[in-house]
Amino acid sequence: MTFALLVSLLLGQGYAPQRQGLDPLEAEKEARVMRLGKQLRCAVCQGVSIADSPASMARAQLDKVRELVAENKSDEEIYAYFIERYGEWVLLQPTTGGLNSVLWLGPVALLGVGLIIIVMQSKRRAAASAAAGAPATTPAGPAPTSDDALLAQVRADLEQ
Amino acid sequence: MKRLGPIIALAVIGLLIFVLFKAFGTDPHEVPFLLNGKAAPNFKIKRLDNDQEVTLDQFKGRPIVLNFWATWCGPCKAEHPVLEYAWKKYEKDAVFLGIVFEDNEQNTKRFLAENGWTFPQLFDPKSTVAVDYGVSGVPETYFITREGIIQGKVAAPFSHPMQIDARMKGILQ
Repeated sequence: MTFALLVSLLLGQGYAPQRQGLDPLEAEKEARVMRLGKQLRCAVCQGVSIADSPASMARAQLDKVRELVAENKSDEEIYAYFIERYGEWVLLQPTTGGLNSVLWLGPVALLGVGLIIIVMQSKRRAAASAAAGAPATTPAGPAPTSDDALLAQVRADLEQ
Repeated sequence: MKRLGPIIALAVIGLLIFVLFKAFGTDPHEVPFLLNGKAAPNFKIKRLDNDQEVTLDQFKGRPIVLNFWATWCGPCKAEHPVLEYAWKKYEKDAVFLGIVFEDNEQNTKRFLAENGWTFPQLFDPKSTVAVDYGVSGVPETYFITREGIIQGKVAAPFSHPMQIDARMKGILQ
């Protein structure tokens, strides 16, 4: 029911009163609050951090960050508080561990697989050429094929 | 290489099908909720009718239904008859508590005086309880076992008594 507020407004059923957040902490701690707040997704908004959202609920979440910072909790402990409730969805920048590593390493792995395929194909062609009696690498022109042998035979027959 | 090619192709196709299956099975707008099966956070907030402090711990040993709502929320008012029905049916077996958040006390008291609510209504002035419970919209209803464990939440208004009956069975066992 994230859209309940919108529906309520459209139907003229009232409005959510805006509430003041807690007073800011001392400058250094408040900067940390805002840095952490920028990394946490607002639960009632669409992809906005709790530090950037004007929603009253986002202010409540930011107040929680403020409270935890005032208690000298570490960044990890503060993230863990929100992850415990909303999962990693709450992090605007997903972590690189666990299943997420598949997403981060996937493109690199695909590139590696592509390179392996190219190398194997090249080796296969070289082996095929060697089997046909031609050098594996020819400095100029394409590798001779069975068609070339046939042409040579035709020329020899014509000369006779 | 001839053998490896189809295996790699099958692995890639299988991975794509798995990702698509996972993605199609979920609502992209749904906010995840991970407190399921975990201990319900305790709180200490006041009742709106008599200003007495209420904690969750004081109800330990009894199943609890926690309904988060606000007076400006139309769907919250629409589900009210269903909650009233459930309270009348289960009041001897379970505790029903309303928690008003994202609202102001004066508004709420006036609303309750005009409309009359049966089960206790508590006031969460800074939405701290809502944040502790991972609320992501309004109304939301939490079902808590007699051991104090959250056994799911409904993040939508109830429109039919059967919906709440099914949930009550889970916490009354």
